[in-house]
Amino acid sequence: MKTLALEIKKVKRTGSLAVLPLAGGLGAAYALVNFLIRRDALLSLPLAPMDVLLTQLYGMILLINLFAIIVAACLIYNLEFKGQAIKKLWMLPFSVPKLFVTKFILLTLGLAAAIILENTALGWIGMTMLPQGSFQLPVLVQFAVYSFVTSLPVLALMLLAASRIETMGVTLGIGVAGFLTGMALGTSGLKVLLIDPFIVMLHPAVAMSAQPELLVMTAALLEATVCAAAGFLAAKMRAYE
Amino acid sequence: MEYQITTERLSKQYKNFKAVDQVSLHIRKRSIYGFLGPNGAGKSTTMKMLLGLTPPSGGTFAIDGLHFPQDRIAILKRIGSFIESPSYYANLTGEENLEIIRRILNLPASAVSDALELVGLSEFKDRLARKYSLGMKQRLGLAGALLGRPPILILDEPTNGLDPAGIHEIRQLIRSLPQRYDCTVLISSHMLSEIELIADDIGILNHGRLLFEGRLDALRNTARTQGFDGDNLEAMFLAMIEQDNAKRRERAKL
Repeated sequence: MKTLALEIKKVKRTGSLAVLPLAGGLGAAYALVNFLIRRDALLSLPLAPMDVLLTQLYGMILLINLFAIIVAACLIYNLEFKGQAIKKLWMLPFSVPKLFVTKFILLTLGLAAAIILENTALGWIGMTMLPQGSFQLPVLVQFAVYSFVTSLPVLALMLLAASRIETMGVTLGIGVAGFLTGMALGTSGLKVLLIDPFIVMLHPAVAMSAQPELLVMTAALLEATVCAAAGFLAAKMRAYE
Repeated sequence: MEYQITTERLSKQYKNFKAVDQVSLHIRKRSIYGFLGPNGAGKSTTMKMLLGLTPPSGGTFAIDGLHFPQDRIAILKRIGSFIESPSYYANLTGEENLEIIRRILNLPASAVSDALELVGLSEFKDRLARKYSLGMKQRLGLAGALLGRPPILILDEPTNGLDPAGIHEIRQLIRSLPQRYDCTVLISSHMLSEIELIADDIGILNHGRLLFEGRLDALRNTARTQGFDGDNLEAMFLAMIEQDNAKRRERAKL
């Protein structure tokens, strides 16, 4: 708790904690406006109303979340490198690997806040704008958890990259390159490509059903664990030379 | 003799380059130890090893009988340090920067204003660290090292970037620390004239090797016996370095 409180003090004026909730607000606003404008067109698609609600709006929401994760990860570690603050941490009775864990927790909470905001908007749309009796709250909650879990590998990977690379531009570049690979290969359907965290994150957006896939969930949890563990171990080994 | 920091044949090798070569230091408790040497002599590398920032390639060292890496936290709890350039959070004010360190060290809230006062930064405590001048950043780094009045201070060229008045002020402060706070100071510099005014003991390093270690008076006596003016240690220091460089060149030829 002490490290978490310290981290919240450190990020002051960087905006790194606000990025994800703001992205959530933006995603929620997008969903509301889009559904208000395109309601009839969306509901005439040959899909169940819940699938329309969850898959047809998720593409843009996912992109907003993806870029927010990339930016937040860059910002939250950039403050350690700018002014070489991390060098001082190595000289203090402080566990530097814990820093990675704390930042991971903060970004995960930010992502959860974003997803809650976006899904609250989707829930409101479902209750007020879908045909009578077609809205199913458990399906919405299930999809929210699915989109949260499938976003975690990108979050862990980007935080790992940001913790190792001092130049923020390079980390941003990795994020953009990852996004492009996800866009290019995400629709191929090849299961082996699920090894790419960006493809895992894009998966719910390219699927035509809101039903979570066990394989994708497993890949997501595995990749998030591997990237987070790698980040923790790497931070443990790195001293300041 | 009670030593607070000792190193035994401490070495650091980077591929083919020996940055520190079998250095054995003996730093007395409550003394100021001046670590002297030209740029690239290995002073910062030695200090980094003492702080656990880089592992030694050979040799050992002990701080209050404790060793890295097993006693890392216990060692760092008793050391205030300032290595090379100041480290700070650019997005935070001077006071907020010290507040972060204070929380890590579990110190009372008054420690921050105490450290700011000590380095003469109280007036600028609310300014963002990124807007500080080089001298102010240097003072902030020093304040971070002095926070909580640690029993050991490791300061690597702490007066870099300060104006003459600032150098004098910080020098006076460092000089007074062993008596005021009962602490031991290891301070590096490439200027003997500076170390001469502060240190009790002195270690001269060149190309990673320790050329001299002892009291300042002993260095003066050595200077006199070698025909140098005892009051002009700078000439003696430069001659010592030049002699060592000549020996190295000779060895390289062979």
